[in-house]
Amino acid sequence: MNKIEEALNGLLKKYDVQPDKALNLLPGWEFIGKKIQNGDVPLLTWRSNRKFTELKKIVSARVIENVCMLRFSCFGSSDTWSFEALLYREFDLCEFLSGGRIMSLHATITAGQAGNVIVRLDNGIIGSVEVGTQLPSGHKMVDRHEIIARRGVASDIVVDTQVPQSSIYSYTDQGLETYKDVDNELFGFDELEVEHIRSAFEVMKNPEITQELIRQHNHLTNLVKTALESDSQNRKVEIKAVEHY
Amino acid sequence: MRPVKIAILSLTHGHTRKYFQTLHENPNLEWVAVSAESEKVRDIFLRSNYNVPCYMSDQEMFEKHPGIEAVVMASANNRHIGQVRECAKRGIHILSMKIPTFMMDEYDQMIKLVEESGIVCQVELEMHYNPVVARIKQLFEKESLGRTSSINATNITLSPVWAFPWQGVPEESYGKRVPLCEGDHRFRGGALCDHPHIFDMIRWLTGSDIEYIYAEAGPNIRTDLEVEDILLVNGKMKNGVSFLLDPSWSRLEERLEVPGPGWEVFPKRMEVNFTISGEKGVMLADCFGPNVYHNGAPNDRYTVQYTYFDEWIGLMDEFVNCIRNRAVPKINLRWHRKTIQAINACYESIATGQPVGFSRRQWIRLR
Repeated sequence: MNKIEEALNGLLKKYDVQPDKALNLLPGWEFIGKKIQNGDVPLLTWRSNRKFTELKKIVSARVIENVCMLRFSCFGSSDTWSFEALLYREFDLCEFLSGGRIMSLHATITAGQAGNVIVRLDNGIIGSVEVGTQLPSGHKMVDRHEIIARRGVASDIVVDTQVPQSSIYSYTDQGLETYKDVDNELFGFDELEVEHIRSAFEVMKNPEITQELIRQHNHLTNLVKTALESDSQNRKVEIKAVEHY
Repeated sequence: MRPVKIAILSLTHGHTRKYFQTLHENPNLEWVAVSAESEKVRDIFLRSNYNVPCYMSDQEMFEKHPGIEAVVMASANNRHIGQVRECAKRGIHILSMKIPTFMMDEYDQMIKLVEESGIVCQVELEMHYNPVVARIKQLFEKESLGRTSSINATNITLSPVWAFPWQGVPEESYGKRVPLCEGDHRFRGGALCDHPHIFDMIRWLTGSDIEYIYAEAGPNIRTDLEVEDILLVNGKMKNGVSFLLDPSWSRLEERLEVPGPGWEVFPKRMEVNFTISGEKGVMLADCFGPNVYHNGAPNDRYTVQYTYFDEWIGLMDEFVNCIRNRAVPKINLRWHRKTIQAINACYESIATGQPVGFSRRQWIRLR
């Protein structure tokens, strides 16, 4: 049993949730290019991250009103991330945070390592998605999500800064070390691991969401494929509905 | 585990609403009732739509629900001694708000009542269940900074007095009306009484106690309050660590009667930050950050929307564990006594204009 499973089992036991051991609970991008098998559940793990939960609340509770544009970016290192995985994540965040569905996109990508996509959603919102896998090996993800509305702007980056902040900065002769601990019940796990455990727990608690996760996975896989086509064909592409699963 | 039948007393403390979700969702708790101290707080509670019966007196609630095993004592500081007496008499476990009392004779009575009745009394110091604090503690234990030299800690917030008026009334907040110092029209009972966390944290992190402490009250930024809202504290621990604390209400607020969106004027309504220097380096920590940010409704002001709020889960988990397994809470009355003494010493320092030292059992004037 790996440590993610161990932590999940701890939550299941604590909250008295019956585990379904047949489920294969992995971040959705792990299933890109694979056929979903019985028991596979493509998790949209980032949706469990509190920064995105709160950003979504800001939009859905109309703290900012009439969203017009999204400015998202996400950079990772290629030893951890694929370009497609980051696109998959960011496309989902466009839809999750804005409450719309991407209906067209135009992508420009270089060498399958860096690029950007302009999307339009069915609620009229437009967005830029900038993605790359050229951060140095082992570097933590650097991302930014800014939501611009007629009334207000929301962001996960503090004003007048460029990069995500940490909770702790420790300066010693070993150099600078940073820490960001976000979940006391899951203390010791990094942010991405916490996302994974929390989203897997959510499926165990509410197994009825599985079909919706698979539907969204198929849609996101199609968006990623369409972005690659848009770049190679140098054209804007309308999204066709995909419902197979 | 059989869920603990729990109630909330009074509903007048600023932290009351933080418990609603945890009491509602924690499978080890059965939230059976609340008592309200006024029709106003009752009506606010009823609007929160928790289907929990609300009574207008503790007595009536206890009589209607004889199975209550534990309470969250969410009342003004001066109400605590009476409620502790009642709970001890009934054998009901207590989760006390962060200040059991500032009156040391009452405090010692509380210790006696709790120990003689065998109930659990845990003091709500939620920073102990904060993941950033857990990391700081771990780094301390690993001695990543080597021997600690100094700590600067802030616990600065807006003032809650407009929503929780007892926090601006010296008798209810501090326990009696004591002038801050000669010639000052203000009284003890303000920001200092609201922010014990950093006093507790420096003791817990360093594993030492305060040797002496000095405090200076500034001019109030809210001139209509009769309690202090701006102050600074410094001093030294017995192990030589120097410290600087800011427990002020230095973030202005809209004067809302019910806390909610738009309460803050300054973007971040509450911070607990540490700067720790050691022989091998320096560490900076923000226990409630990073977060997300907006300038939307209701006031179109730049605002921090917090992403850190699970302290109450760990805190209640420990309380339940102590009740069911007869354990002593980490933050018990005996541990917390020295923190309360330190705060009283700050007031003494403000009154005398000099640092105050601690002997084995009490504080003493140094000059």
